[in-house]
Amino acid sequence: MSEGLKRRDFLKVLGVSGAGATLAGCSTEVERIIPYVVPPEEITPGVATWYATVNPEVGYGCGIWVRTREGRAVKIEGNPAHPVNRGALDARAHSAIQALYNPDRYRSPMVREGDSLRPISWEEAEGLLADRLRGAANPTLITGRSGPSLSALVDRVVTAAGGTRVRYEALSEAPLREATRIAFGRNSVPTFDVESSRLVVSFGADFLEGWISPVEHTRGFAAMSGARQDGAKGKLVFIGARLPLTGLNADEWLPIRPGTEGIVALAMANVLARGGADAGPYAALLQSYDPATAARHSGIPAEVIEALAQEFGASGASLALPPGFTGHHRHATASNLAVLVLNAVAGNVGRSVRVDVADEEAFSAPFSDMDRAIRTMREGGSGAVLVHGANPAYSIPAAAGFVDAFRQVPFKVSFASAPDETSALCDLILPDAHFLEGWGDSNPRPGIWAVQQPVMRPVPHFDSRSTGDVLLSTLRRLGSEPGAASFRDFVRGRWQELHASTADAGGFESFWRETLRTGVATLAAPAASPAALQAPDAALTFDPPAFDGAEGDLFLQVHPSGRLGDGRFANRPWLLELPDSVSKIAWHSWVEMHPDTARERRLRNGDVVRLRTAHGELEVPVWTYAGIRPDTVALAMGGGHEHYGRFADGNGVNAMRLLAAEVESPSGALVTQALRVSVEGTGARIRHATIEGSADDRDRPIVPAVAVADLGHGASHTAEGGHGHGLYELQGGGGFIPVPTEGRPEDFPLEGARYGDYDPAVNPRWAMAIDLDKCTGCSACVVACQSENNVPWVGEDQVRMGRDMGWIRVERYWKEVDATHAGPVDVRFLPMMCQHCGNAPCEPVCPVYAAYHTPEGINGQVYNRCVGTRYCANNCPYKVRVFNWYGYTDVPEPMNWAYNPDVTVRANGVMEKCSFCTQRIREAQNRAVLEGREVRDGDIVTACQQSCPAEAIVFGNIRDPQSRVAQVSDNERTYRVLDYLINTQPGVNYLKKVTFHAVDGGH
Amino acid sequence: MRLRWTLATMAGVAVLAAGSLAFVQSQDGAAAQEVAPSTSRDQPIAFPHNIHAGDNRIDCKYCHFSAERSKSAGIPPVATCMGCHTVVAGRNNPEEIVKLREYWDRGEAIPWVRIYKVSEHVQFPHMRHVAAGLDCTACHGQVQEIGVITRVVQPLSMGWCLDCHVSQGASRDCTVCHY
Repeated sequence: MSEGLKRRDFLKVLGVSGAGATLAGCSTEVERIIPYVVPPEEITPGVATWYATVNPEVGYGCGIWVRTREGRAVKIEGNPAHPVNRGALDARAHSAIQALYNPDRYRSPMVREGDSLRPISWEEAEGLLADRLRGAANPTLITGRSGPSLSALVDRVVTAAGGTRVRYEALSEAPLREATRIAFGRNSVPTFDVESSRLVVSFGADFLEGWISPVEHTRGFAAMSGARQDGAKGKLVFIGARLPLTGLNADEWLPIRPGTEGIVALAMANVLARGGADAGPYAALLQSYDPATAARHSGIPAEVIEALAQEFGASGASLALPPGFTGHHRHATASNLAVLVLNAVAGNVGRSVRVDVADEEAFSAPFSDMDRAIRTMREGGSGAVLVHGANPAYSIPAAAGFVDAFRQVPFKVSFASAPDETSALCDLILPDAHFLEGWGDSNPRPGIWAVQQPVMRPVPHFDSRSTGDVLLSTLRRLGSEPGAASFRDFVRGRWQELHASTADAGGFESFWRETLRTGVATLAAPAASPAALQAPDAALTFDPPAFDGAEGDLFLQVHPSGRLGDGRFANRPWLLELPDSVSKIAWHSWVEMHPDTARERRLRNGDVVRLRTAHGELEVPVWTYAGIRPDTVALAMGGGHEHYGRFADGNGVNAMRLLAAEVESPSGALVTQALRVSVEGTGARIRHATIEGSADDRDRPIVPAVAVADLGHGASHTAEGGHGHGLYELQGGGGFIPVPTEGRPEDFPLEGARYGDYDPAVNPRWAMAIDLDKCTGCSACVVACQSENNVPWVGEDQVRMGRDMGWIRVERYWKEVDATHAGPVDVRFLPMMCQHCGNAPCEPVCPVYAAYHTPEGINGQVYNRCVGTRYCANNCPYKVRVFNWYGYTDVPEPMNWAYNPDVTVRANGVMEKCSFCTQRIREAQNRAVLEGREVRDGDIVTACQQSCPAEAIVFGNIRDPQSRVAQVSDNERTYRVLDYLINTQPGVNYLKKVTFHAVDGGH
Repeated sequence: MRLRWTLATMAGVAVLAAGSLAFVQSQDGAAAQEVAPSTSRDQPIAFPHNIHAGDNRIDCKYCHFSAERSKSAGIPPVATCMGCHTVVAGRNNPEEIVKLREYWDRGEAIPWVRIYKVSEHVQFPHMRHVAAGLDCTACHGQVQEIGVITRVVQPLSMGWCLDCHVSQGASRDCTVCHY
């Protein structure tokens, strides 16, 4: 045989058999096409179907549109018809997709047997629940935020079972509600109109990130503070011990001593009252709080407070925002009241502060109710406890003893759809459907109603059931006829009553169908009567609250995380990997400390320290931050989970471990800001998982700004910064037809050479304009892009190695942040994505033409051509190209269901970057062709642009002078990053930030 | 040395499937091109395109219902088949119609074997090609003359796509299809 078969032949056989093996491999994997048996009317394969619903997880219930493909949800976008968020979303709202397809969700109802949980059927589980409820003394239902229909149903179940209901919300606004009741006699949380104000003073509320309704506030703030063409610009002053994201967007900062915001507010009201403003029943009180007193307590000079008060009174459209979560100290209600009094004295009530009757009760649920329930549980007074929409075992300070008391309850039930620290203690798990799979409703404020409808069949991997349906079945089993076959009918029934109470002439059916289509119904709100100040009916102390702890220790500020909230969003990799908007750190926790304090204590950025209070201790790395007072340290909530899922567990620390379980009087809120903490080095050190290269632009005009006084004077038209020039493009080799030539200079341009596909007369030039004066750095665009473009997450260690995959990142540069005295703040945000250069450095270095220039001006990246040399990334001056070092896209089933089928899922070894949402461009072009028309300006909305609450991003064809992007770019503030230096001709025009203070040399 | 080579050869040959050797023997001919495209697998129902599109002249888009408005041409739901086959029992292969009715009675989808497929990094919008006036046969061949389609006879390669794009003046830009 060896005689007959030569080496050459052998190689031939080997080569061919290789091909044969590949073919055989293919042919064993036969791909099946599974058609519908009966086609659903609303689905066309390959075409997206959108449903309107509501996201009950975030703020005041944002209206959303959900894009579904072949019956599965793939992307969430804001509902433009919803008056709260008007089409925009924050980062957290996008991430609901990752909760829907989260592999850690419970796969069926479970019952505890010893240490483990055993899957059971729903029939069995519901039967067990009813049996145990029947026999239990005082069953207690702990509920978090829930819509009006579910809330009503819970109340009926509580009545039928003869039990108690406890509302619990870790991020409660109880002090604000109580202060509003005291000030105006109304039990509500006021609404604040940022948009129509000219001067906003926040006494601590982080209203751009997490506080009450951040999307709405961000939109309002951008409209208020974004410079208009005439140079008018609203102003934000931030008062607080630490700058949260809102503070980074402020124009001035008064770094007060913790707990003194109420006194500063009263002093400002005092100044206004002295000037003749009416302080009503508070006139006498104000007299004892003059600016000198406030200066003594707060550490801010009296003349600064005096001047701010004068400006506040003269502004004509002012607004003071309450202290928010970081003001939950021992005199929280008094502080909130002081801010409301200031608003009333300045005449803002009824204008920028509206005290209507809102019914988001859970939103301001006082902790005192929970505290009482814990005592009852400990004393054996609750025969059964049911928990829905809350995770008290995690979010209540350990000192409150919830876990021990809860363990003593004989029968504990959780409705959690995925494991959490509370359900880990429970005897029966009845996994709730995700909100995208179930019915519900929301009533964010008087007159605004929204239906939550399922956008897809329940994800088949998880045998979940909507809690509404479980409660209905429980009612039936308890012998009380609920009057509805399903929770959908229940919701519909309530909406029928709602409709009957309105003057709508049309029938209910058309009203219901229209509401399902648009996602929101605006009904006549009860007429708001003017609110007037009332004399306080409770004894309140406005003096600074006491802080526990040794004298040399630092004030501890615990605040909600911008990404993870109180920890409820912690099992979503998109949010874990989203860099924090302030620190730019992803995945783990950190404690913020002023650089001077760190130096004094011989600590460096990244040193792991031990934080110790009388109630607990934690080890966490230091992040030095100039935006915090030297006597204060800050720690975000949301980390340190133990039973929350594979992504959340073990990341960071749980700040609540350090706190006492103290209740504020009279609001009943949990006091979170009353401690000093001892900080000592452990000797250990870590490198932060941060995406930040440098926070200093080293005086290169990367993020130039212009002073408001210089606007309109053309001062920014420097060679570096601005330019009114068009966008040039080098067409690249691909566009020209080669023509033979001797190469003599006088032969050019060559006879017969032509543009080929690259004809500027027929092609658009896609470009973007980003107004940095509107951008607040909220990072909603980052998660929107991840969801749209199948951008993977890589994990903490990979981020640390600089392998983060984000196609867009929000860079943050420090210019002016000083915690030692009152003064201007200047922090600049720069959303950075591929600049789609007209003369791109990445293109000529690609050996395989994977990076190339498209005729439409986009810097194209062809994944199937890329061989992974990474030359392009090395030659990119903007660091926007990212490389798949591993198969990051192999995600656990069913997370792959979240992939957008219109975008290629990239394998390892491939370079990728922002594509200007090419798939959306193609979709718009396809639609235009089918409709027999040209693509119109505004047809193409990129994912980042769609999500932006500040409306800072505009996209379109810049060759068309009528397009919005061309018109927005035609501005004296326009500049292109690094263009002056390397002639890259970027397709992204930035509009400079506008500052009140003078800036050097136009940047 | 010689012994080692022989051993290696024997081991190599032992690993190879007999089919590969048969393939080598046919190397002299031009058969290589024949084998390269897709697979031939049995369809769950021997659906004859020639009877439907050929003899009965049913428009392609009657069954492939979304070709005009979607990227996907659409595979007919079982209900579409039953629209006719509730009454049409089939003259030539009645046993195949029996299979179809069984699927329908069970409320089960027919797991068709996919024959035509472009790579996953290619976006192929059917509707743009239909809108450009292209006949289905331009890419799918004379389907109305083929009984049971078991394999792709067109190359479905990028060069093949581009030949047409160039001659028709359609875009040659990479990101038209690759994104």
